[in-house]
Amino acid sequence: MANRRRYQPVMKATGIPTTATRGNHSKRSILHRTLGLMAVCGVLIFIPLIWKLWDIAIVHHEEYQRKASDQWTLDYAISAQRGNIYDRNGSLMAMSATVYKLILSPRDLVNSVSKKDGDGQELSDEAYQSSVSLRQDQMVTELMTLFPDLDRDKVEQQVHNTKNAYWEVKTNIEEEDAGPLREYLAEHKTSSYLYLIPDAKRYYPYSGLAAQVLGFVNANGGAYGIEAVYNDILEGTAGRVVTTRTAGGTQRYNSYANYIDAVDGYDITLTIDTTIQSYLEKALEEGVKDFDIRDGAFGIAMDPKTGAILGIASTPDFDPNDYSAIVNEMLLSELEENSAEIYESLKANNTEHLTDSELMAQAESQARSDARNTQWRNKAIDSRYEPGSVFKAIILAAALEEGVVSESDTFYCPGYVNVPGYPEPIHCANRRGHGSQTLAEAVAHSCNPAFIEIGSRLGVDTFYDYFEAFGMLENTGIDLPGEASLKGAVWSREDMTNVDLAVASFGQRFEITPLQMVCGFAAVINGGNLVKPYVVQTISAREGTVIQNTEPETVRQVISQQTSQRCADILEQVVATGSGNNGYVAGYRIGGKTGTTEFKTEKGHYIVSFMGYAPADDPQVIVLLAYDRPQPKEQGSIYSTTGVYISGSNMAAKKAGPLIAQILDYMGIEKVYSESESAARDVSVPNVTGLGVPKAEDDLSRQNFRFRAVGEGDTVTRQIPAAGTSIPGGSTVILYLGGAQPEASVPVPDVNGMTYENAKSALEGAGLFMRASGASVYYGNTTTAEYQSVAAGETVAVGTVVDVKFFNLAEDN
Amino acid sequence: MARKAKRDLTMEEQLARGPLDLPFLMLVLMLLGIGLVMLFSASYYTAYRDPTPPINNNPYYYILHQAAYAAAGVVGMYVISRINYQHFRWMAPLALAGSIVLLVLCYIPGLNAPINGVRRWLRVFLVAGPTYQPSEIAKVAVVLFFAARLCKRDTEHQLRFTKRTGTGRMLNFLERIGFLELVPYGAVLLLVLVLVVFEPHMSGTILIMLGAASVLLVSGISLKWFAGAAAVGSAGLWFIATQTPYLTRKINLWLDPWGADAQSDGFQFRQGIYSIASGGLLGRGLGNSNQKYGFVPEPENDMIFTIVVEELGLVGAFAILLLFSLLILRGYWIALHARDKFGMLVTVGIITLLAAQVFLNIGVVTGLVPNTGISLPFFSYGGTALMIQLAEMGMILSISRQIPAPRKD
Repeated sequence: MANRRRYQPVMKATGIPTTATRGNHSKRSILHRTLGLMAVCGVLIFIPLIWKLWDIAIVHHEEYQRKASDQWTLDYAISAQRGNIYDRNGSLMAMSATVYKLILSPRDLVNSVSKKDGDGQELSDEAYQSSVSLRQDQMVTELMTLFPDLDRDKVEQQVHNTKNAYWEVKTNIEEEDAGPLREYLAEHKTSSYLYLIPDAKRYYPYSGLAAQVLGFVNANGGAYGIEAVYNDILEGTAGRVVTTRTAGGTQRYNSYANYIDAVDGYDITLTIDTTIQSYLEKALEEGVKDFDIRDGAFGIAMDPKTGAILGIASTPDFDPNDYSAIVNEMLLSELEENSAEIYESLKANNTEHLTDSELMAQAESQARSDARNTQWRNKAIDSRYEPGSVFKAIILAAALEEGVVSESDTFYCPGYVNVPGYPEPIHCANRRGHGSQTLAEAVAHSCNPAFIEIGSRLGVDTFYDYFEAFGMLENTGIDLPGEASLKGAVWSREDMTNVDLAVASFGQRFEITPLQMVCGFAAVINGGNLVKPYVVQTISAREGTVIQNTEPETVRQVISQQTSQRCADILEQVVATGSGNNGYVAGYRIGGKTGTTEFKTEKGHYIVSFMGYAPADDPQVIVLLAYDRPQPKEQGSIYSTTGVYISGSNMAAKKAGPLIAQILDYMGIEKVYSESESAARDVSVPNVTGLGVPKAEDDLSRQNFRFRAVGEGDTVTRQIPAAGTSIPGGSTVILYLGGAQPEASVPVPDVNGMTYENAKSALEGAGLFMRASGASVYYGNTTTAEYQSVAAGETVAVGTVVDVKFFNLAEDN
Repeated sequence: MARKAKRDLTMEEQLARGPLDLPFLMLVLMLLGIGLVMLFSASYYTAYRDPTPPINNNPYYYILHQAAYAAAGVVGMYVISRINYQHFRWMAPLALAGSIVLLVLCYIPGLNAPINGVRRWLRVFLVAGPTYQPSEIAKVAVVLFFAARLCKRDTEHQLRFTKRTGTGRMLNFLERIGFLELVPYGAVLLLVLVLVVFEPHMSGTILIMLGAASVLLVSGISLKWFAGAAAVGSAGLWFIATQTPYLTRKINLWLDPWGADAQSDGFQFRQGIYSIASGGLLGRGLGNSNQKYGFVPEPENDMIFTIVVEELGLVGAFAILLLFSLLILRGYWIALHARDKFGMLVTVGIITLLAAQVFLNIGVVTGLVPNTGISLPFFSYGGTALMIQLAEMGMILSISRQIPAPRKD
């Protein structure tokens, strides 16, 4: 009521109320309108809503659902850990670890710059552009602070390459560096454009050791070596996670998640022994240096009874941690020469009209890639060579087995032999001839005419039977990649002539792989069994379950046990007294055979080799050492630039002897001295000071010492050397009688080039002692001292023991 | 205050103590309950990821606030339902005047609480307290004011002006065609709309217009004025839509939502559609939405219904729509049975506002209507808005108390 009164005066000012009311609608019309509104709001408006919802959720369900799930499905692989590789003693040779890559997305860096200012106002284009370039400059500075060793120009260029969304700023970031970096990234909230992603890295703790055996891992998985052959086993199976994620990319853990665990790769344990491998590689390296070897070298150490490879090496080698780098000096020095050569040939054949600098670059990269391929090769397996005289062991075994020769046979060598069908006489290495010799002597001398004779007694067919039986016609089947094809390496049985037989008898004019030679030789001395070589001993799961264990496999028995024993006896003499004499080491019974081959296609290109095994009565290890292309001093010379006579005996055997001794030492095989050897062994000098001369003489002679008295008197007042000092047996102890005084120090005489006796007396005359090593036979005129441990002219205390190494210059092939 | 015995009550007072409409109350409470559950489900990840105060990564932030306001709102609803709604008649002009003052306050820097330059909010205690939108109050105030005046149309006399002057004849003509009667309404409405639209607050403007229109319609205003207003309104809208780049963009987005950039303009719409489609017929199950993990923007707010569909499926969504439909139908039923015209008009206005909100919200997320930014009653986060909503429901319950009992004869 009050309301009306308030409003009416206003109305009255302009109009007078009439009897008619403003609302003149019937109640029915109001009801209709309300019902209409009710129908619209309560029912009708829901119809299009329901239709729309149905359309989206049912009709277009699949289409939209897929788009939706695309954006929140997280599907990623869990990488499997690559298996480790161990040596036979469980030393880690290859392992995988997680490293990180730092990724920058220059595109998202731009996106991260806000288009609005602090108050939420849109920035002008200009202002936006300038804040973008400011951010980019900041980024460059930040990256340069984080990694000062980056190339600034490159960083600048990459940061401004805004089309790119993926630039690897830095790879191989170790966990210890990744930690602080991760904190830094989190602190600066860079995750949308600068972030770390995990990556796997393969580590080879022994770096270059057994590089070609291990191979390496590149982006596509294992390449070369064990890494390649056993890639599937090492690699494992990647797992997969399919789950949902938040818009921010965070993985959600819920019932939609579907996990397939990664299966880690299996570990592989090799038969390789890192210690033996390192001895082997050192022997190769030393030889390459000492003999000026130009085409590398290779060596194999194998258990002759099982075929387990203990070491296998080839130079030039590389470091699998950085497999593309060329580190070998020889390869590096050849690089320039080779690229110049390639450049010339490219230039002569320049069909694409490239500029000189382009050609040069092409040539250089070609040369580099060639060098890389060279260093990745394992020459002990993937190259062929003519084994030369080493092969005589096979001929010997075949002839003894067939009974066409016996130990009592004698052979006469006039220095050459005429082979029917060959226009000129075939010479022996010793052109003066070896004269009449027993079978053992013929082997020890490595006499070619004798072996041509033996070969002819076998005949082509029998020769070929044994050739095949010793595995010379087939690959060994070792579990390493790249065994060289034998196609065209050997004559066929039908085509083989008696001239071929004659040269084959001393191992020439056919080619086999070094590993075949090792296996064949092992069959000769191990009791007659050709074994299948292998390098993988076990494959095991991470927790230790052995999945596969390699049992030694005998391919066939080639010769009888007895024949093998007879061969071993003869071959032991090669080292004890013959052409392999430089491989002799006192205390170990080493057998073996030397070989020197001149390439038929290339005069002056030799491969010198030595095959040795020990102990002769129970071979534990067989070693092949070979050096390819010792550089002759001059055209046609048989001496290398380092002054060493080019032959297997003077080069390979000399390195192989100490190597085998080292290996046997390491394997814990005790030295057994023969009578003459033990006489020269180190003996502790007894205390004779204060004794009478006869008593002192007695004591000394019991220990195999001689003595020399200085001064007058009956009682020994001093002795050189002092009691307890170890000096070689048979040395002369100096006894001072009465008041005689020893000189404090003496100059060391020069014994180089002296024979054993001369060197010994020269040293002892000066009051020093000699410990001899090297060639076993000390009495021949060809055996001379070539090394003394204390240089001539140096002054040393009286009684010092000087090591002198003897060397036997042998003419052999 | 001691409760009077029934015999001491006046007829009026007795009526005001009648039973409130139980179906309506139950529907409100059911929707409120479902709304709270869905809000929690939709909001916890957003809250968890939001480090800004006052949320501070607390996943329960939204639900705790909403639940507190809901509790207060339910109490408020009951209290209001106990008020004899006849008092609303005299309160209406005060409420209108008050809300106009509040709308004006929105434009006064220092007293308002703008967000990104939009001046829709005030604080409860002007300088402190939670924020609210005065336009929410204005909606009810306009409905109340219109209802309070229009209910007297049938007793309000037409005016006659002097026929001697041209002005007088003109006024007589205008009175006869019913225009003069509309002038105060138009003036009030225009004032409120202008205040709201320049906040700017398009959705509020639309709702106030719809609320006012429904009251005018049911009060019996001639349909020709609606036709005219619709024509003028459409023309105005078209003009605004084509002349303001912001609205043009929205309209274009509505016409071709899939053509817009998936990462900016089209993002919200797409994600909503993906969410609805992911639900399919039966949904992923309560709490199992994938889209709420940062894909659907502000899933606790305008987009909440998409998460509801994703989790509860079409079945759940239809059930909720059915509840809304029943609530609206029951609301109109109350309007039809209301004791007097005032009650009827108030109920129609409030219920029409509710229906419009439901339609516009779900219409937006399904792409049926252009994006207006209207929240879903009982579901969307917004404590004060929820309280006002419940207060409106309380008014209807109050009106329902005075429905005369059916005659038993």
